[in-house]
Amino acid sequence: MNPLLTLDVVRFELARSLTLGRSAIWLVLVMFPVSLITVMRFSGASIEPLNWGLTLYFLIPEVICLLGLLLWATPAISTEIEGQTWIYLAMRQSGRTYVLLGKYITAVLWSLSAAITSITLCTIVIGSGASLKLWGVLCVLCVLSSFAHASLYVLIGSVFFRRTMVIAVFYTVVIEFGLSLVPAVANKLTINYRLRGLLADWMNWEEARSAAENVFGSEPVWVHLAFLSLMTVLLLAVAIARIGLGEFPTQQEG
Amino acid sequence: MIQLQHVSKLYGQVIGVNDLTIDLPAGAYGLVGPNGSGKTTLINLLTGQLRPTLGQVGVFNSNPWRNRGLLRRIGLCPATDVLYPNVTARQWVTYQVRLHGIGISESREMALESLELVGMTANMDRPMGSYSLGMRQRTKIAQAVAHRPDFLILDEPYNGLDPVGRYQMTEMLKTWAVDGKSLLFASHVLHEIEAITSSFLLIYGGRLLASGTANEIEQILADTPQEVSLFGADAASLIHRLADEPWVESLQLLDERRELRVALRDPVALYANLAGWIKEDNLEIDRFQTADGNLTAVFESLLRHHRGET
Repeated sequence: MNPLLTLDVVRFELARSLTLGRSAIWLVLVMFPVSLITVMRFSGASIEPLNWGLTLYFLIPEVICLLGLLLWATPAISTEIEGQTWIYLAMRQSGRTYVLLGKYITAVLWSLSAAITSITLCTIVIGSGASLKLWGVLCVLCVLSSFAHASLYVLIGSVFFRRTMVIAVFYTVVIEFGLSLVPAVANKLTINYRLRGLLADWMNWEEARSAAENVFGSEPVWVHLAFLSLMTVLLLAVAIARIGLGEFPTQQEG
Repeated sequence: MIQLQHVSKLYGQVIGVNDLTIDLPAGAYGLVGPNGSGKTTLINLLTGQLRPTLGQVGVFNSNPWRNRGLLRRIGLCPATDVLYPNVTARQWVTYQVRLHGIGISESREMALESLELVGMTANMDRPMGSYSLGMRQRTKIAQAVAHRPDFLILDEPYNGLDPVGRYQMTEMLKTWAVDGKSLLFASHVLHEIEAITSSFLLIYGGRLLASGTANEIEQILADTPQEVSLFGADAASLIHRLADEPWVESLQLLDERRELRVALRDPVALYANLAGWIKEDNLEIDRFQTADGNLTAVFESLLRHHRGET
């Protein structure tokens, strides 16, 4: 492994992705939860700190992180293949692996920066209803969510380099939002279930947990962290193997 | 340098290349074939981007599919365009060299050298989105040679180049070949390749039809029936002259009797007699066209030869 080379790929990807369009999307991702929270905050209704926490968690580590990663991690490889630039990268000795890693980290950085900015602004808008502890927990959950979901989407993108986005959205809706709420063993295999478990653990929301154990789980923190770490590494390793061993269309046959 | 043993590549039920066997020493070669003939599939097999369905591929005595380290010795200029509009040529070429695992400062130096070689120094700090097609083509060549490969593969490198660019490219490739480095130059235009090398591989329908020098290929063609078309108001009147000649295989009248297509075993005999017949019979013949002006016809002649039909 060459971390400097990965950083160079990240630098190149960040430089080339810093466009007006992408910056606008970043801003929309930041402002969407802020707008909703602002409306809730000034609606006059009294909202409990627990409900602020749940709302922020749902809006940012789940929705915003996933939306950002869907946009930036999923098409990491397919855009190069569709743009017929993949061949230039694949012709390099370290091209396939490091380009994937670099694009993975770039997607995480874009998504994470939007998520943390949004959490910070939302916390300021909520004021005393949101503690510094909640801000810290949500930031850590965003980090975990971004790394784990980015691995998942990069893998989907490397396996299905056509109709990538459709498959990734379908997976997200059915598995990460649907199955993760189903009271069955299968929901324990989803990333969102683990993130919710960590949220309840770190915020000491025992009442919420006992009321909805299938949503927040009952496992200790280390189990959730181990699962998320393992899943992140495993999915990324499979994506790297797939990219390294796959045959990809390079151009129209001449 | 290149060893292919009965290599076939299938895309589902479509065949990309069919039973190719080649053993080429280091040198400069032209890969000639019309669009869709299998040139790019062959290049992708040589660069390890595709795994052969059947057979074995070797480049520098190593399997390019398994040994990615081999890519350090190969430079590829693909036919596809580069679409990174807000990246400069200097950034892109440096990045490409860096992806070989070469150090940062060395990558920068190599990128600068190669951009200078293709005449892009003055424009290398402009975003590639502002480049002309010719400038992008030069930048593509720069990324192919920047890491100083031993074997350069070019797929239609003249696309988009103006006459000056073509001349400079030809000179650069000639120097490359003279320096003893290897080159495989794919094109569907024969004379582009002839300017650089006299060794050809002719590919058509995924098959290697012929290989050798231009003279050797001409010899094969000389033994193969070739088509000549004669155009003019009196083209049909030549039939009575040609019908009894033993070297004529077939005659065909086309375009409202204004074109006479003749399949010949001995084109030289036609050329020797044609002017005399036109003068004696006072015929109006505007022009004639040989298969040389029509690459597809040449390939079809070679395909017949390859199949043993001639």
